[in-house]
Amino acid sequence: MPSDITRSTVQGTPVHLTTAESATTEVVRHPLYPMLVPFPSVCFVGAFFTDLAYWGTAEMMWADFSAWLLFAGVVLGCLALIAGLVDLGQRRYVVTQAPIWPHVLGNLVALGLALLNCFVHSRDAWTSVVPQGLILSALVLIVVLTSNWIGWSVLVYRRRVVEVRP
Amino acid sequence: MKRHVLRLLALAGVATFALSACDDGSKGTDPNAQIGANPTLPKQQQYLLPPMKVAKVVGWKDGEKPAVAQGLKIQAMATGLHHPRSLTVLPNGDVLVVESVAPKGEPIKRPKDLIMHWVESLATSGGETKDSNRITLLRDADGDGVPESQSVFLDHLNSPFGVALVGNDLYVADTDAIIRYPYTEGDTQITAEGTTLTPLPGGPIDHHWTKSLVASQDGTRLYVGVGSNSNITENGIEAEKNRAAIWEVDRATGRWRIYADGLRNPNGLSWEPQTGTLWAVVNERDELGPNLVPDYMTSVKDGGFYGWPYSYYGQNIDPRVKPQRPDLVARAIVPDYTLSTHVAPLGMVFYTGNALPSSYQGGAFVGEHGSWNRKIPNGYKVIFIPFSNGRPSGQPVDVVTGFLDQGGKAHGRPVGLAVDKAGALLIADDVGNTVWRVTAQ
Repeated sequence: MPSDITRSTVQGTPVHLTTAESATTEVVRHPLYPMLVPFPSVCFVGAFFTDLAYWGTAEMMWADFSAWLLFAGVVLGCLALIAGLVDLGQRRYVVTQAPIWPHVLGNLVALGLALLNCFVHSRDAWTSVVPQGLILSALVLIVVLTSNWIGWSVLVYRRRVVEVRP
Repeated sequence: MKRHVLRLLALAGVATFALSACDDGSKGTDPNAQIGANPTLPKQQQYLLPPMKVAKVVGWKDGEKPAVAQGLKIQAMATGLHHPRSLTVLPNGDVLVVESVAPKGEPIKRPKDLIMHWVESLATSGGETKDSNRITLLRDADGDGVPESQSVFLDHLNSPFGVALVGNDLYVADTDAIIRYPYTEGDTQITAEGTTLTPLPGGPIDHHWTKSLVASQDGTRLYVGVGSNSNITENGIEAEKNRAAIWEVDRATGRWRIYADGLRNPNGLSWEPQTGTLWAVVNERDELGPNLVPDYMTSVKDGGFYGWPYSYYGQNIDPRVKPQRPDLVARAIVPDYTLSTHVAPLGMVFYTGNALPSSYQGGAFVGEHGSWNRKIPNGYKVIFIPFSNGRPSGQPVDVVTGFLDQGGKAHGRPVGLAVDKAGALLIADDVGNTVWRVTAQ
């Protein structure tokens, strides 16, 4: 028999978690995807700024930073992707107001473009960044920020939203 | 809005992929149209992944040997060496074989370096190299091409390449210094400690590490080739200080100056016999396309600037180099004679002997180590360029081929060349671990 174990609010409305739900929360207490997804995001955002610095200074150190950030971002992005698929597969999310696919698609596009950008950044010196590398870094920055902006407004962990009782 | 963003992304993706999807273009330009003066220079290409074909090294089995031009024959003079890269013949006819491997410890500055180091290790693998970085002496007193004795002449060197003898002073160009050793004619081994004449730009990056060496004909000066520290300044311009140049070193004091620069990786420094001019073969830049930029041989002018890194073949700007130097580009000298693209010439010798057919008299042999930066291999052979009046005077002739077999596997790769006392052409084959000797049939 369900009984209240805690009280919380979603947008000011009291929320009651039930024991049935608390059983599920044991599984999702350590969410993988939200833990991993900031790493590639930060790498990609960082690569844009180190690209900007290289554009401004022609100092190879910045282009090298960009290459490492993109490389690390793609590796960690692949891990986040796997984690996201696991999370999705186990239905760890409750989808509220809007569909989830723009977020998924956005992050996939960002990962794809960043991989492409790794290859552009493997060129030597100036043309490893200017102009194609810089353009790609800017695109990835826009997509990553937009996608996560959309994502975290629609993705909510199951633990937090269960049932609303008036 | 969302749709806009997605459309933009799709466009960008398609555009970038389209850039990369072009084939490597090997078919467009005939490599033979890139030989001599006025080579065809195609449009520059930039890649997501540059075209690559690294020949797998299989070595020579017993009885296998390269093919030679008509009228010549070839035999191995020494086998089982450890990455032999250059050759010097001493006045008494002894042959010094410089066995040398790249210095260790080139820093990994970006993810690409991890991959490129691996590619380079494929290209120079084959054979044990732990006993390398030494000079082996071959003595063939009767001149039959079969040495009567072989000894370790100098050991524990630091990636040596060039050797020059002036009187009783033997100079070895290690990758980071010119070292002088006392030598007496007939020595088969030097045990004395060397004396550093002049330090040379070495590690930790030391991208092009082979220091070619030749003494002036009067013996007062040494000329040493110092290759660039990168393909095209990707290690920063400060890493290129005093590099991509030929230095002139005063033999008495060790003082030096830059004799000529803008030469990306100059090797095979030699005196043209008729005019006494300094010539070199130069490895040009990679990753602009399978037919850019042609390697070349050129006479080297005192104070001359030959383009690297800012431009190539005169005033053709390389867009990868920023900031540019229009003042230098304006006076960039067009090299004398291109040798086709990515052939990697590393050795050159002018022929003044009498043992080979007379058509070889006065011209230059060039050892082409072979390409990696194009799908269809180029080079992997020794060619001959006829000279008259101190200038190249015709198309090159293939002299020694068959280093690369039909299946694209490398049995060997030619590097340094020399002419022995009997007038035979000697070839150091670094991955084949052999010294080849070419004589008239």
